[in-house]
Amino acid sequence: MSDNPYQNDRGNKDRSITNKGGSTIQEVDRRFGNSKAKQGDPFLIGDAMTGGYGKGPDILHSCTIAAEKGEIAVIVGPNGAGKSTAMKAVFGMLNVNEGAVRLDGEDITHLTPQQRVVKGMGFVPQTSNIFTSMTVEENLEMGAFIRRDDFRDTMTQIYDLFPILKDKRNQAAGELSGGQRQQVAVGRALMTQPKVLMLDEPTAGVSPIVMDELFDRIIEVARTGIPILMVEQNARQALEIADKAYVLVQGRNAHTGTGKELLADPEVRRSFLGG
Amino acid sequence: MDILNALVALANFVIVPGLAYGAQLAIGALGVTLIYGILRFSNFAHGDTMAFGTAMTIIATNLLLAVGITFGPLPTALLALPFGIGLTILLVLFIDWLVYKFYRDQKAKPVILVIVSMGVMFVMNGVVRFIIGVNDIRFADGERFIITARDFKTMTGLNEGLAIKTTQAITVVVAVVVVAILFWFLNKTRTGKSMRAFSDNEDLALLSGINPDWVVKVTWMIVAALATTAGVLYGLDKSFKAFTYFQLLLPIFASAIVGGLGNPIGAIAGGFVIAFSEVTITYAWKKVLVYLMPESLEPDGLVQLLSTDYKFAVSFAILIIVLLFKPTGLFKGQSV
Repeated sequence: MSDNPYQNDRGNKDRSITNKGGSTIQEVDRRFGNSKAKQGDPFLIGDAMTGGYGKGPDILHSCTIAAEKGEIAVIVGPNGAGKSTAMKAVFGMLNVNEGAVRLDGEDITHLTPQQRVVKGMGFVPQTSNIFTSMTVEENLEMGAFIRRDDFRDTMTQIYDLFPILKDKRNQAAGELSGGQRQQVAVGRALMTQPKVLMLDEPTAGVSPIVMDELFDRIIEVARTGIPILMVEQNARQALEIADKAYVLVQGRNAHTGTGKELLADPEVRRSFLGG
Repeated sequence: MDILNALVALANFVIVPGLAYGAQLAIGALGVTLIYGILRFSNFAHGDTMAFGTAMTIIATNLLLAVGITFGPLPTALLALPFGIGLTILLVLFIDWLVYKFYRDQKAKPVILVIVSMGVMFVMNGVVRFIIGVNDIRFADGERFIITARDFKTMTGLNEGLAIKTTQAITVVVAVVVVAILFWFLNKTRTGKSMRAFSDNEDLALLSGINPDWVVKVTWMIVAALATTAGVLYGLDKSFKAFTYFQLLLPIFASAIVGGLGNPIGAIAGGFVIAFSEVTITYAWKKVLVYLMPESLEPDGLVQLLSTDYKFAVSFAILIIVLLFKPTGLFKGQSV
């Protein structure tokens, strides 16, 4: 990454000549993966993934994450455990040197994130997950960019799911509150009618009341049959709604089970839930 | 009567020229702001893109005139404009493919692209001079005036005349049409919205399946069309000279930055702010003041704040003031 001289901007902070932002999606080595689906494979599985960013050290070590149809799968763990990294690996945003990602039995390890969106994966990043200068409705339209068919029905469904967005549909998304922004972000990802929805800390930085509401909405989305894979900071609440939960520690699977099992597990309670 | 005379003098020497010049700057600044918003760098080759487009239009105009085609009372250059735009689009797409694409593939930082655009600027500078020469070229034909100062005086019986040049009226009309089309395109069409999305949040645009290559291509095409139009309008109104177009870079950048870089509405507002500042500061106000002030207070001098030779100092001073006190511009742009 940093050994490329073109990427050295010599500390330029003059925004009157360059515009910050730009793509941060890194080039990823896509030579790996070629696995056959196994019997009883979950709908989406990141199978024994080992990998990291660029040429850096491995962050994930044989980490397995899966989401089953109609279920909510949650990834929890302490800070720096590689939760978001695991999700990005499933979405193809970093090098997976060993292991594979399969969607509905198909090996997608070599696909770019954009191609995975076309295959039916919806991803809501943790930060800058909306187009702030565009209206709510335009955000949803951009979510449906890959669709050439009529997507008005989907938009109506999303407005039914998030009624507040309908009221604010002509307002710039950047003017909304934190919780409303997250609804726009989830709505945008749902516009492609994804087969699986991945949420990276959807409740980061919102108030507890809004957080409860967001969790309710996420459960509603799951009830429509879309499997959800979610990274969450608020371990206790996340485990309560999780059908399947993964506790990661230092990039490895530490505990796996249903949400209730993990909530009851004394070791999980002691180490992550504060007793 | 005195007040009317003062108003007419003001309109004749400040408002009408200011509107025309402002419209030309606005169209130029729109091109700069689009490149800044979508390709994320300040394109220093913009002035020379304008010069190239205008040069091509002049050549096409001469060809049209040679075969005896004119546009009646309107300048023939307007007929030749589409040819100029077409050739400029081909050139910028070629330059993008030859030069900028390499740096994009390297994911080069925008500051490197700025320097690259300076290189492109020097090359285009040379190419334009090579093709059309370094001299002043006047290529406006057709009716020169919609209304001359003398006609106006006989019509109204006022002491002051108001002259409106055909090119000034055309500039304003074309600017309104161009801006309307551009805003319709950016706000209503799928491609236009995807360009705004790409400018707003590139990562998310990529994850939404927006094709970056297409967005970049369309941006260059629009910018080439805007630059050529701005260049031709300026050339019709004044005259074409390669060096003048290179100098136009400063007021154009000042317009884009005053309005807020990356913000199209800001570019238009900025264009008029810069144009009117330049015109009012370099205008000799004596003529207007003579009508408005009692005889005892009449000014002796010309009441000209700056000589017209210093007009670039005006844009430069405004640029610095804006960058010091309101770096994001009048309308919230993206500069910090």
